[in-house]
Amino acid sequence: MAAEHAIDAHNPNIGCTGLDHRKMGMWAFLGSECMFFGSLIGTYLAYKGKSISGPGPHQILNIPLTSVSAFVLLMSSLLMVLALAAVQRGDMKWGKIWLFLTATLGAAFVGFQCFEFTHFVHLGLTLQTNLFGSSFFVLTGFHGAHVTGGVIWLLSMWWLAMRGRLGPQDSLKVEICGLYWHFVDIVWIVIFALIYLIP
Amino acid sequence: MESSHSAQTAGAAHQEHASVHTYLRVAVVLAILTAIEIGALYVPGLPPHILVTLIIIFGTFKFALVVAFFMHLRYDSKLLTALFVGPLMIATLIILAIMALFGSYLLLPRT
Amino acid sequence: MATHAAFMPGTKVSTGSVIWSWITTVDHKRIGILYGTSAFLFFLVGGIEALIMRLQLAHPDSTLVTAKQFNELFTMHGTTMVFLAIMPMSAAFFNFMIPLMIGARDVAFPRLNALSYWIFFSGALLLHLSFLAGAVPDGGWFGYANLTSAQFSPTHSIDFWMLGLQVLGISSLMAGFNFIVTIVNMRAPGMTLMRMPLFVWMSFVVQFLVVLAFPAITVALILLMFDRFFGTLFYAPAAGADPLLWQHLFWIFGHPEVYILILPAMGIVSEVLPTFARKPLFGAPVVIYSGIMIGFFGFGVWSHHMFSVGMGPVADSAFSIATMLIAVPTGVKILNWIGTLWGGRIRFATPLYFALGFIAMFTLGGLSGVMHASPPVDLQQTDSYFIVAHFHYVLFGGSIFGLFAGIYYWWPKIFGKVLDERLGKVHFWLMMIGFNVTFFPMHFLGLIGMPRRIYTYAPDLGWNFWNLVATIGAFTIALSLLIFLLNVVTTTRSGAPAPADPWDGRTLEWTIPSPPPVYNFAVVPVVHDRDDFWVQKYGDGHGTPPRKVTPPAHVDTSSIHMPPPSYWPILLGGAFLFMVSGALVSIYQVVLGGFLTLYCMARFMLEYHHQPAGEHH
Repeated sequence: MAAEHAIDAHNPNIGCTGLDHRKMGMWAFLGSECMFFGSLIGTYLAYKGKSISGPGPHQILNIPLTSVSAFVLLMSSLLMVLALAAVQRGDMKWGKIWLFLTATLGAAFVGFQCFEFTHFVHLGLTLQTNLFGSSFFVLTGFHGAHVTGGVIWLLSMWWLAMRGRLGPQDSLKVEICGLYWHFVDIVWIVIFALIYLIP
Repeated sequence: MESSHSAQTAGAAHQEHASVHTYLRVAVVLAILTAIEIGALYVPGLPPHILVTLIIIFGTFKFALVVAFFMHLRYDSKLLTALFVGPLMIATLIILAIMALFGSYLLLPRT
Repeated sequence: MATHAAFMPGTKVSTGSVIWSWITTVDHKRIGILYGTSAFLFFLVGGIEALIMRLQLAHPDSTLVTAKQFNELFTMHGTTMVFLAIMPMSAAFFNFMIPLMIGARDVAFPRLNALSYWIFFSGALLLHLSFLAGAVPDGGWFGYANLTSAQFSPTHSIDFWMLGLQVLGISSLMAGFNFIVTIVNMRAPGMTLMRMPLFVWMSFVVQFLVVLAFPAITVALILLMFDRFFGTLFYAPAAGADPLLWQHLFWIFGHPEVYILILPAMGIVSEVLPTFARKPLFGAPVVIYSGIMIGFFGFGVWSHHMFSVGMGPVADSAFSIATMLIAVPTGVKILNWIGTLWGGRIRFATPLYFALGFIAMFTLGGLSGVMHASPPVDLQQTDSYFIVAHFHYVLFGGSIFGLFAGIYYWWPKIFGKVLDERLGKVHFWLMMIGFNVTFFPMHFLGLIGMPRRIYTYAPDLGWNFWNLVATIGAFTIALSLLIFLLNVVTTTRSGAPAPADPWDGRTLEWTIPSPPPVYNFAVVPVVHDRDDFWVQKYGDGHGTPPRKVTPPAHVDTSSIHMPPPSYWPILLGGAFLFMVSGALVSIYQVVLGGFLTLYCMARFMLEYHHQPAGEHH
């Protein structure tokens, strides 16, 4: 690949490919996260159907309720791109609104997860009950932890914007936050299909 | 700083940005696909292997839509696509290998 | 002003400010030195652990150490050598040399780079705090389940190992992302990927191996942590779990890890041989593609570490064939290295000796490796000293020799002095002889039945003689290292200053002073060829004449902006260590540490938000 551009002396973050270092770094990170969630998903699938006692997925999973939360997370991705588009065109009023709403939907998803987890514990499924309990809670728990991290990141961006410390010149930072957020969403698409939908 | 105007490698897509309209359409498609997937669960007598195939295909398609449009990969440098898709392929292969090594019921359906 | 060296010449500096400048540095060269010094210290620690083991095994029925202590020794020796010696020594070279070799002034994320080092330091500290706590890890460097479960390892020893490795993994991952972006995005004008030096290429492949392999061990360790702390059942056979899950996840990491350990050394050899043969690397593109193939296919062979667990003939065959195939690109590289030397005007200097030693010793290790690629043969060899011989030939005869080649080769550039040649050669020969005397007999010991990881043996098994020989070899290695240390001390005290280009080199790092100024290149180089500096000096022998590069009459280096130092990397590293070690103390420490970590992360990420680095004075 020919390096067509000298390193931009005015913007130290743009490299010889013309891409921003930070955006490239986030994509490399997301590639690595594919392996992380891949290993957790592989573990879940290796143990699927092999619990020797205790509740199994078909007895305990609430598909309708989880479908709603999956839909909520999908829609939060839409709000995220709307937030980025607003910030890029300099409309910080709507940028703040969309950022806050994205975080709210994300928090709602986490709320659904917490409700689901406590409900399952009442129904007799804990981390220690059986292989399903262990692998389900760890896989979805780590996904939920990633969503929580994303919500904190989004709220931080929103807060900076509220204080006037985030503007259109920071659109790349919003974009990178968005990449993380969408990734967390697509991981849920996979998890939702493999845990909840597939019999 | 206009990140959307950073230099693209030659031959990249001419359209630099999806419009809000495109995003909304993608969101609608995502919602419809999800609704069909969940609806399929309640179709009585649907053979399991058809259901599983449908779920996997729809899930893959939703995944690809979010990556291509919401994450903007369709309009960005091919380098970023390579950075993500390579590891994704390796992760997928390893999941399949683990499933095979552990005799996962998904690969070898129970009768 | 960040544009000058840390201190103006003639300024009187206090020890405190010197230490502060190292603690807050974001300069890749200093971070490289930090990694290298730490790596060498831990290499000595791991070496002492080895010497104690060899003393114990020198005679049958020995009582120098107990069985438990021996378990701790081989666990810490392996863990230390892999994670605290070889990897950080490679990291030292990635840090110092990659920006120089691609014509850059630093890495893509200098503060993240510093953070990687301080998190590495935290992980190393956490692992070694186990000694103070009297709970030294004893489950082997590979920590097989379910020996590592709370039931069978009730003390904190496995916890120290598990948490230490997680911390070290995070350090490596961060550095991996940093170097991927640096290599892709910070090359000098004209430096296409195929014009990059081989060391940069091999390091590039390694970074991908790191970011793709470490998540697997991260998950394996998380599952172990949940089993030990929260009672989950991932590795609990009684609940229907399969302890092989650990082995699979560990080796999905572990096999790429051994390529992480060897590829940097191969990259160094690919730089040293052309320089001292005064000839380009034979088939450089082929060597590059071979490295890429080794990296990629390295993800497909992991269960060759598990041939004895009963995976069945299909799995055994698949992994066996894949393992044998991987020998092909490796063999190609060896042939290309020999082709580089053939017909060259060889100059015998210490770096070349170590590179030649690498080729010979790594080939021997590769030959024994191909033997255990066959499952029936491996059933005889596995868990015996034959395997110990194999991996020491590739890791010591390979990685360590290769890294020493790099140490002697790049010492002048890093420290501004050339290490003494005579002492260097004495070091080499003593190490070469000592190494072979230690590890070659282990092939015999393995074949006559000596298992691994035993703390002593009966006197009538026929193992006495070779064990004693191996111990003598081990102490010879130790002696050779004393010679190396002597070389370092005397060179530092009284060596002559090194020129920019002491070896008549081929690559960009030799175009700048030894040691380099903080900004590396006063003028960003423009690259026209692979081995651009050589072509610039002598032409390429195919019609391109030498290029006379006249440096501009006056270069204003005061306008070069280098990132200023920062104390957030070490603070964030400390907060993170506080949080992780809280798992061994109390939940309150974890929670408090968590908040401190979040706070330091926010400050780190906002340090230059709306305040471009270097423009606030």
